[in-house]
Amino acid sequence: MIRRPIPRWLIILLGILGVVSLLAVYGGLSYRQSVINEKQKVIPGLQAFRDGVSRMTTAQGTEETPKPSMLVTDLRATYWRLFLGIGLGVVLSVVVGIAMGAYRWIAAPLAPIISFFAKIPPTAMLPIYFVLVGSDQTMFTTMVALGIFFTMAQSVYLAIVNDVKDEAIDKAYTLGASDPEIIYEVIWKQVLPPILDNIRLQIGPAMIFLLAAEMLVGAEGMGYRIRMESRVLNMSIVYIYLCIFGFTGLLGDWCLLWLRKKLCPWYDR
Amino acid sequence: MHALEIRNLSHWYGKQRILNKVNLDIAPGQIVALVGPSGCGKSTLLRAILGTDPPSEGQVLAEGRVVTEPSRDVGIVYQNYSLYEFLSAEENVAFGLKLDKTSLTSRFTALPAYLRKRREHLQMARDFLKRVGLEAAMGQYPSQLSGGMRQRVAIAQAFILKPKIVLLDEPFGALDEATREDLQLMLLRFYQENLKAKQRGEQPQYTIIIVTHELNEAIYVADRVIGLSRFHTEGSQGAMVVYDRPCPVFHPDDPKDLSKLIEQREELRSAVFDPNYVKHHSKYVSFWDELSSDAMAVAAMNPN
Repeated sequence: MIRRPIPRWLIILLGILGVVSLLAVYGGLSYRQSVINEKQKVIPGLQAFRDGVSRMTTAQGTEETPKPSMLVTDLRATYWRLFLGIGLGVVLSVVVGIAMGAYRWIAAPLAPIISFFAKIPPTAMLPIYFVLVGSDQTMFTTMVALGIFFTMAQSVYLAIVNDVKDEAIDKAYTLGASDPEIIYEVIWKQVLPPILDNIRLQIGPAMIFLLAAEMLVGAEGMGYRIRMESRVLNMSIVYIYLCIFGFTGLLGDWCLLWLRKKLCPWYDR
Repeated sequence: MHALEIRNLSHWYGKQRILNKVNLDIAPGQIVALVGPSGCGKSTLLRAILGTDPPSEGQVLAEGRVVTEPSRDVGIVYQNYSLYEFLSAEENVAFGLKLDKTSLTSRFTALPAYLRKRREHLQMARDFLKRVGLEAAMGQYPSQLSGGMRQRVAIAQAFILKPKIVLLDEPFGALDEATREDLQLMLLRFYQENLKAKQRGEQPQYTIIIVTHELNEAIYVADRVIGLSRFHTEGSQGAMVVYDRPCPVFHPDDPKDLSKLIEQREELRSAVFDPNYVKHHSKYVSFWDELSSDAMAVAAMNPN
């Protein structure tokens, strides 16, 4: 029967079975490929991964001037850009989205512009950023920030329009609220859960945007490394980097869900 | 001084005149039911009283102060969207106290003092919720409450600030019959508290305009019914008050005697809702003339 509930232990068991099957299929394919070509690097085996990890984590530079390992350099570069970009994009879009949702004279001129830019795929705007901002750290941050700004500002604005009813605002006035109080105590608190959900949804596009930029013009970072290593078919490193994306994405998702539960206990009830 | 005065209020939407020189005085402690056919301008009148849609002509005064925008002078309870989903029942009731008695900056800059006040406000909210029979649900969010419980919280939320008048906009429209009756009894208890306050020479706390489609409900909970309609001699010029008469006062502990309602309900039906009714209505706009001391005296004699 469709949607028949299943017990919790079965959910966990099936989850584990899924992961184990994936690893088994990979192991099988890798073994088969190694039988055909002993030196294959496309579906690397355990030993190749061990070598890859060791290469990634070995400190660079000389004894006099030691440099961090490849992995640390790339992780630091990419996630710092991502963190700054998403942080800036979220703050800007929340401020603009709330201002538009609160005041019609702000929404009237901005809504059409924001809707227009939200329709342009962020990756298609890359050349414009190269020209306008250059290709240093500022460019990556600006690119991520602006990449998520338009869609997120629009989402915050629409969340306010849909979720904060006129009656809720009028009632707050009858309870003695001032305009700033309505913005903070009514609008902000009502749309905080959709804002947190939107941040979760925007992490993916922000990643795509940043990686595309790093692949094109980066000198360090995970996008740059994936491009360089895949050129020489060092797929063990590429796969490990992809797994890091998967795990950090899950971690980010989990943190934001946890935050939503803590800050908005009313939302899931 | 009247709790609410409406002076020559007219309202147009574009070229269409919705309300035509509406005049009303409402005394403190009255529970007034506002009835009328759909589209007759009840909501427009309510929005004008609330201040969200000021009238094209005329004035609304709450205890002598002209209403031009929503303020804490006039409270409101809607049929839906009554509560803030992100606040528990007690926080919803204390919300007005927080907004009215503390400033946004003081909540951050003078935190200890604010927290002290906050505890007092929550205690006041809990006391009020006990009065409306909701002690068990204080910490629950609106999504965990039944429709009737939500409306009780909304009523407590509106009254805790002691506004000059509270508008109930079809507050029980979405509730089942039994819950509806419970809440009607709650209004009757409020009315009894008003009478006791008057006997003590104090200002009664609950002045209410309730908009309802149920004529029985209007006559049962209110001490005065106002009918708004276009079915009068100048009907094309917008709706006017065509019915304004006192109604029998029911005591919450007495059995509900429907026979006391029937005659007035028929009178209301023909005078307010029948387009073919004789268009001369002055006979039914007689509240202040008819309000000899009788109605109040009878009510006041009823103890408890």
